[in-house]
Amino acid sequence: MKVRVLLVDDEKDYINSLSKQLVVRNFDVTAAYSGDEAINLISKNTFDVVILDVLMPGKDGIETFKEIKKIDSSVQVIMHTGHAKVDFAINGLENGINDYIIKPIAIDELVEKIILAGKRKTIIKDRD
Amino acid sequence: MNSQIDPSSSQQSEYIANHNHTDATDQFYKNLRFKLTVGLLVAFAIPYGTLAIFFHFQFNQVLNETGKLHLVSLSESQRNTVDLFLQERVINLFSLFHNPNFSVNTRDADINALLVNLKQANNTFVDLGFLNAQGIQVNYAGPYSNLHKKNYSNETWFKALKDGEKDYHITDIYLGFRNKPHFTIAVKRVINEQTFIIRSTLDPDQFYRFLQTINKAQGVESMLVNIQGIYQVVGPNIGKPFQKSLNAPDMTKASGVKEIKRNGDTILVAHSWLKETNWVLLVRQPLGIAYAKMHTTRRIITTILVLVLIIFAGVIFLTTNMLINYAQDASEKKDEMRLQLVHATKLASIGEMSAGIAHEINNPLAIIIATSGVVRDFFNPEFKLEHTPKDINKELDILDAAVFRAKGITSKLLEFGRKNTPRLVYSDINHILDDVINGLIEREFKVIDINFVRKYDPDIPKVLIDPDQISQVLLNLVNNAGDAIEGPGTITLTTKYESDVVKIMITDTGKGMSIDQLKQIFIPFYTTKEVGKGTGLGLGISLNIIESMGGAIDVQSMERKGSTFMVSLKHQLPRNENSI
Repeated sequence: MKVRVLLVDDEKDYINSLSKQLVVRNFDVTAAYSGDEAINLISKNTFDVVILDVLMPGKDGIETFKEIKKIDSSVQVIMHTGHAKVDFAINGLENGINDYIIKPIAIDELVEKIILAGKRKTIIKDRD
Repeated sequence: MNSQIDPSSSQQSEYIANHNHTDATDQFYKNLRFKLTVGLLVAFAIPYGTLAIFFHFQFNQVLNETGKLHLVSLSESQRNTVDLFLQERVINLFSLFHNPNFSVNTRDADINALLVNLKQANNTFVDLGFLNAQGIQVNYAGPYSNLHKKNYSNETWFKALKDGEKDYHITDIYLGFRNKPHFTIAVKRVINEQTFIIRSTLDPDQFYRFLQTINKAQGVESMLVNIQGIYQVVGPNIGKPFQKSLNAPDMTKASGVKEIKRNGDTILVAHSWLKETNWVLLVRQPLGIAYAKMHTTRRIITTILVLVLIIFAGVIFLTTNMLINYAQDASEKKDEMRLQLVHATKLASIGEMSAGIAHEINNPLAIIIATSGVVRDFFNPEFKLEHTPKDINKELDILDAAVFRAKGITSKLLEFGRKNTPRLVYSDINHILDDVINGLIEREFKVIDINFVRKYDPDIPKVLIDPDQISQVLLNLVNNAGDAIEGPGTITLTTKYESDVVKIMITDTGKGMSIDQLKQIFIPFYTTKEVGKGTGLGLGISLNIIESMGGAIDVQSMERKGSTFMVSLKHQLPRNENSI
């Protein structure tokens, strides 16, 4: 079964290119262009992995993350930021973020992280 | 959103005024130099001139008096000499009574010998006569032999001597029996109750020569005048004996001086009355000669005063020049330092903005790598993707757009960090404000939920400012506004034109400031931002920049509500609207 990935970022060109790459790598990809859109999608569908941009207009990555976790605590969230802020990443990890990746990304690294996250999600689901 | 640089930016529509900052400063210092020099010169010259004129008059008066006193004392000393001369002549005659060759029955041969003695004593003596009690000249020696046996009993001097108490008599000049001008000195002696008289005459020419010998003062003429004002002894260029002197002697004072005008010349005449006879000694000197020394001294003093004036004027001029040059240099250095500080602050604010800039550059980079990944996937046989050239072109367009976006950011950054030469141009504030916000700031703020609201007055006039420096101030204020906002917020940019002042207001919905904070915000190095976020130089420099353009920055703030920073710039009409 394909890993269901939700890409959240306000940069449309970026999301589009990224999703094209992920689709050919056999992922089930959905795109959201804002925090609210992502929350909406999660409340209606099930995703295994969410790749979430930190800096977005409207609801930012952190707030969106909190709401997503409220809706579905098992979903794996990879924080994705243009800020090379290690402090922020560590902070995020402590707060229950599952992983992080810094822009610009190498697709293979992202794929690895998604597969890993997908596996974690499967384990959690099986445990439950 | 496109952040490429628009080549037709606002600066193209600005027109440079026909004067620049440096010219205005030079003019200012030129005026200051002129005012200071003239002011100091006047402040020095007025009291100096007043004193000089006062002393000049004082000096003239004193020297005038001195000149007159000098002439009086000259006349007195000559009078004393003449008195002494006459006394000596009288004594010469008296001594004859005691001469061994003398007796009441003197013979002519004896009297000739006596005349020789007398002439040896003084060559003014002409002849010598011995008169008996009846006034008959019984003996005579001298060139006028016809005077032998002459009866002098009716002569005025004879009567005066015979009946008078004084035992000698000196006559005024007269012609007498010899019919030649002469003076007679007669002395009497009573022997055996008979009055005997020895008389002698003085040669007026010799007397005049004597008068000349005692007179050594330059330009001074001495003369003797009797009580009726008749010349007795006088130089040929002044008059002749028996003539009436034009200078009526002053009888009231023993000596004195007066000024008389003659033929347009002023002549000083000093007089001194003799003691031996009723004559007055007059000393006359033309004023020009009397005051010659005084005039020389006055010329020297005037020259010194003028030289001192020139030296002082020179010193004032040089000192003022030095001072103004120093001030101008200092001011230029200060301007230069201010520019350096402005630039340093600008670079510091780039540092503060670095996180936002990194984010803004990383985003297009992320797009580039993702899109190039898509293209690579097209050619990856593993994925077996259908790809037309159109598909590839589409991806390449996205790549190009991302590259230009990144380039736009770096260009903005370079443009902002550039060291600009100061210039004053008439600029449109709305344009400048848009240039500051567009691109970096607005994009950066958007992602942290800060929106800009523009409330521009489209009719504000252009103001004479340095657009680069104003941009920096506005950027600084906008950055501060952004820093003050925690979470979502709004920055409202308002421009207004009110009573010749262009106002730019930057209002944020941030945390605001306390009164204590408000008091300190313009102090250098004061910052309310967290460590590493602000240098504390921004507002101080901003105020400095705005004040240097004759403007002001006002702040209103309320805690938890937000702040408004208002930049006011005076609108001045361009001097020449045609200059472009």
